[in-house]
Amino acid sequence: MTAAAAPATGFAALELAWRHRIFYAFVLPFAALTLVFGIWPILLSIQVSFTQSATALGADPTYVGFANYATVLADPLFVASLGRTLWYTALAVVANLAFALAAATVIDSPRLKRGSMFFRLALFLPVVTPDVAGYVVWRWLYDRSFGAINAAADLLGLPPFGGLSSIDTVTTAVLIAELWHHAGFYMTIFLANLAMRDRALEEAAAIDGATKWQVWRHVILPQLRPAIVINTVYATVQFLKTFTVVVVMTKGGPADRTNFVSYYAYQLFDQGRYGEATAMATLLFAIVIVLSLGALKATQGREIR
Amino acid sequence: MSARGSLSDKATTAAFYALAIAVSLAFLYPYWWMCLGMFRSAREVLGNPLRPWPESFDLTVFGEIARVGGVDFWRYAFNSFAITGASTALGVAVTAAGAYALARRPDLPGFRWLRAGFLVTIMYPYMLLVIPVYIVVFKLGLLGSYAGIVLFLALGPIQFFLFDQFFRTLPKEVTEAAIVDGASEAQILFRIVMPMAKPITATVALITFLINWSQWFPILVISRSPDTFTLPVALLAMNGELGSNFRGIMALAFVTTLPVAVLFVLAQRRVMEGMAAGAVKG
Repeated sequence: MTAAAAPATGFAALELAWRHRIFYAFVLPFAALTLVFGIWPILLSIQVSFTQSATALGADPTYVGFANYATVLADPLFVASLGRTLWYTALAVVANLAFALAAATVIDSPRLKRGSMFFRLALFLPVVTPDVAGYVVWRWLYDRSFGAINAAADLLGLPPFGGLSSIDTVTTAVLIAELWHHAGFYMTIFLANLAMRDRALEEAAAIDGATKWQVWRHVILPQLRPAIVINTVYATVQFLKTFTVVVVMTKGGPADRTNFVSYYAYQLFDQGRYGEATAMATLLFAIVIVLSLGALKATQGREIR
Repeated sequence: MSARGSLSDKATTAAFYALAIAVSLAFLYPYWWMCLGMFRSAREVLGNPLRPWPESFDLTVFGEIARVGGVDFWRYAFNSFAITGASTALGVAVTAAGAYALARRPDLPGFRWLRAGFLVTIMYPYMLLVIPVYIVVFKLGLLGSYAGIVLFLALGPIQFFLFDQFFRTLPKEVTEAAIVDGASEAQILFRIVMPMAKPITATVALITFLINWSQWFPILVISRSPDTFTLPVALLAMNGELGSNFRGIMALAFVTTLPVAVLFVLAQRRVMEGMAAGAVKG
């Protein structure tokens, strides 16, 4: 315990107060920005979710209790949108983590003596590419008459890919574009974890006659638990909030197939239905917190077998 | 036996290389297609979308994007650099001082609450937080101003976690020795701790710049007119309004991507390691 716990004489207390004041001064701008652009908007949003939309932004809003939540939960479009969002999140988390883990394993392999930095750069560049720019390009790549993807499918004798215009393929198309943008980040986390692992264990397992697959499955993979936990939580939060790709590529269509919760809520807000929009936002916020804590618990829990 | 073993070993190595090269090229192909798109007319692309080289190096497209949505291209480029630069400088300074205080004296009243509050804000669906932020910015009278945009973009989770991690692992002896020497807390922060934090500060600045350059939604929401749009926002507007000007869109996407791509390639290790570290601590 430092001076704070010691009985302070008048002078020491004064000095302590002075020292505290400077720490408050250091933290003040950070606290101000967090409060004004973080906490206040969230509280405001929750407050608006309990008011009637027409009066929500006025000086004297009418409070309607949980009416907006009831409306939202009774809205079949919202329920469908929520279901799609959860389904898409599950798909995207699994696809991104599987791809990132495979890519990290290949790049980390001692077989790739040269070029591993190039592979890392190629897969990470989309992460720092502005998402709007990336998705704009993908939107055109998917174009049926214009895009390279269908031209390539045609060249290889494959059936045409519906891309963003078909209800059967739009989820896959969006998922691929998002994987392109995000997977390099998850891969980097796996690579950082792989670099920290205990290599002596692998040598010991190899001496005991374990195959490469067995070594990977039973020696390397268990050591990647921290990266799996972090990536699962990050990806879950990331894909629950899927938004930009929808704005740029699909506008929620076709036939609402990509109308995820955040986009649906934004549309309502745009129509002035503030109460319902913020009720949706609050629900999504709750889901994000519950699912990310759940993912954290579930992935950590497996550690004890 | 061993000859066959080494042969299959070579085959596996070749397969690994083939896979890595194929995936890398697939990831890079959209960039190549974007670059080609700047030089090719819609008719030329329609005729052969896969052509690996442009028909001609026709630069007229840059005339076409000299004005987008009634605003000069240079205005968007200036906004991008100004808003990203200012929010990065502000964010780094504010986050460094804040994270330092929170890491150094977590026992002070209110500090735990501040940390928890900050963590909650990053869990909130970002695009939905922006909507009430519109109301807040409106109440502050900052709607349509650079200040409103810069202040909103200043804070971010990765930046905070990187500083937090650095300050928490700072040996206690450093500050204790300085206190014994009679240094004030301000002197400790500015003369001792921050010089030691130079590498992490550079990493945070770099990552903040890359992240904020890509921002579009808060800028779109806080702006009152295209006068405060950055390049990604202008690109989005063009994507929506002039959906058929393929060449112009590719050129604007290229210009939007180029500065961050160059910055990333120049500082690749710092960016990748910094982002991984910021995430791992978060």
